[in-house]
Amino acid sequence: MTTPVVETTNLKKTYMLGKVPVNALQGVNLKVEKGDFLAILGPSGSGKSTLLNMIGALDKPTEGKVFIEGVDVSTLNDNELADLRREIGFVFQFFNLIPRLTAKGNVELTMAIPGLGKSERRKRAEEVLETVGLKERVNHKPAELSGGERQRVAIARALANNAKFLLMDEPTGNIDSKTASGIIELVKGLNKEKDVTIIIVTHDQHIASQAKRTVQMLDGLIIKEEVN
Amino acid sequence: MKVSDVFSYAFGAIRLRKLRAGLTTLGVVIGIAAIVALLSISQGLQDSITEQLQTGFATNTLIVSTGGGFGMGPGAMTATESDFNLLVNYTQIIDEIEDVVMSVAVIQKPGCHIRSGERELKLTVVGVDFAKYANIYSSTFEAESGEIPLDPENETVVVGKRVSDPWKNGTLFCDVDDGVEIVWTTGTLFDAKNETYTGHVAAVLKEIGGFGIGPSDSSVYIPILQAQSFFGTDECDTIIVQLENDDEATIESVSEAIDGAFSGQVSVTSSTAMLDIMSSVFSTVELFLAGIAAISLLVAGIGIMNIMIVSLMERTREIGILKALGMKSRTVLSIFLSEAVIVGLMGAAIGIASGWGLAHVVARVFSGGGGFMPAGDHAAAAGGMTITPVLTPTVFLGAFAFGLIVSVVFALYPAWRASKLKPVEALRYE
Ligand SMILES: Nc1ncnc2c1ncn2[C@@H]1O[C@H](COP(=O)(O)OP(=O)(O)O)[C@@H](O)[C@H]1O
Ligand SMILES: [Mg+2]
Repeated sequence: MTTPVVETTNLKKTYMLGKVPVNALQGVNLKVEKGDFLAILGPSGSGKSTLLNMIGALDKPTEGKVFIEGVDVSTLNDNELADLRREIGFVFQFFNLIPRLTAKGNVELTMAIPGLGKSERRKRAEEVLETVGLKERVNHKPAELSGGERQRVAIARALANNAKFLLMDEPTGNIDSKTASGIIELVKGLNKEKDVTIIIVTHDQHIASQAKRTVQMLDGLIIKEEVN
Repeated sequence: MKVSDVFSYAFGAIRLRKLRAGLTTLGVVIGIAAIVALLSISQGLQDSITEQLQTGFATNTLIVSTGGGFGMGPGAMTATESDFNLLVNYTQIIDEIEDVVMSVAVIQKPGCHIRSGERELKLTVVGVDFAKYANIYSSTFEAESGEIPLDPENETVVVGKRVSDPWKNGTLFCDVDDGVEIVWTTGTLFDAKNETYTGHVAAVLKEIGGFGIGPSDSSVYIPILQAQSFFGTDECDTIIVQLENDDEATIESVSEAIDGAFSGQVSVTSSTAMLDIMSSVFSTVELFLAGIAAISLLVAGIGIMNIMIVSLMERTREIGILKALGMKSRTVLSIFLSEAVIVGLMGAAIGIASGWGLAHVVARVFSGGGGFMPAGDHAAAAGGMTITPVLTPTVFLGAFAFGLIVSVVFALYPAWRASKLKPVEALRYE
């Protein structure tokens, strides 16, 4: 068996709200293999985003470990964490695009950070924007794009650096259902045709049914796992 | 991330907030402009004063007075309040001293009126021995038209350029061979007596442009003997002493000898001492002005810091995105510092240019251009001194460096705070 792309062992996260501890994660064990398409379901506040932030190396667990391709994330320093994040494609619920940059500018930025040259990243940006169906909108700024288009830009950005896997936190949470199904088709296609590993957090049962695998979370724990 | 990409990202961020960036830059511009203008003017002023002192009074001269007048130099405050008077014929005593080439007595009477035809000017009449005076001040006591009579007949007058041509517009007040009347009012206010001296202009001096101790553009010169009888005095105001050379030892020994000859009742000032004092006064003034300008830059720096902290709040989410995309802390730091560098460089460049322009405007106002000497009975005290602002490489580079350093130093803290933001927290920031 190969090393899983993502593995968490007994992952716990406790936030302090003033003096009140909030146990966002209470011991999550999860394995995601290469090429997997995992949907994480669960009510609001069940710890889905917290889990995704840990996997995406954006935050540190209180207890337990995250392994990315077998590497213990807790052993990495600040710079190594930054390097790791470059290889993870994070897609946020609120898109998180830089407003003053065009669609292409946003996608290029993610490649400029690891130091890719101008012409290469221009070419690659056009390529991934075409993949997500935004060929005609490359020079538009986020404010000039619809919610669905913005989310496509965010996905294009996540794809640009040939990420090890995509993390999507309710990518369809802020767009209408028709646009959402377009996004889902896109994500499904990426998984199917390009073998991109995908972890997606969603409320949407329809999206979950498209995934290869779903896990159900409640109160910081995985309570149910099923393979579609 | 490549340096060029860091800069273009920083530049884009600045362009987004043009007004704010403009105002921040303006702070730096004003500070730098003030520094450059002040320093280049004072440098120019210093240069022109030094130059004029050097032409106006050769370095191998001493000035003897009864004190007060030139009592600036070290050891020059020896004059007392006794009724010691400096007499014209004391030149004979001074001439005996070793290393003295010659000495010339100068009688100066300010506030005399000179009349030519219908017109009248109020100015200083100077009585000197033309031959000796011309010898000491060979480069300035020199005729432009006419000839300075070395053995003057009675009632000869030599006038400065500004006396002949006070309005600088071709309308001459008097010219060579014109007859002029000098009126000197003596006595008290209620019992005034006018003495009149009638003479003819033998020579007009070439323009000196200085205000030094030597000849001046706005004085009228009459032979010393005439001055003595006209003003009814044997006293003079100063005696100029020409030395064999300008060695410090010579200056010292002659100064001491003169001091001794008059039992310490005169003050002796050397021209080199004057120059030294002038330049030390100037460095003090310069330092003071630069200090004021530096404070304005400091204020600009605090402005930069303030704006960057505000901008940091606004951009917290952006920083979160950058970090989530894998940007390193030091790159975030360099983006923020680059913004400060851009502001600093632009501010310094614009500041130097506008400071330089401002210096020229101020210099022109100071230099007086034309019409400085109004018609009527006011005569220009100083001739038309011209100041040419001087921008030394030190000031130029210093201004650049200072603008840059101030911007960067005050950006350090906000930039550091930005770089330390945690990605999740920054992303949660509304
Ligand atoms: N930074 C934080 N500080 C305090 N509490 C937090 C923080 N982030 C999340 N939480 C809490 O942790 C719990 C899980 O949150 P989250 O992972 O965002 O849930 P989900 O994404 O499933 O809606 C919630 O109770 C939430 O209030
Ligand atoms: Mg969430």
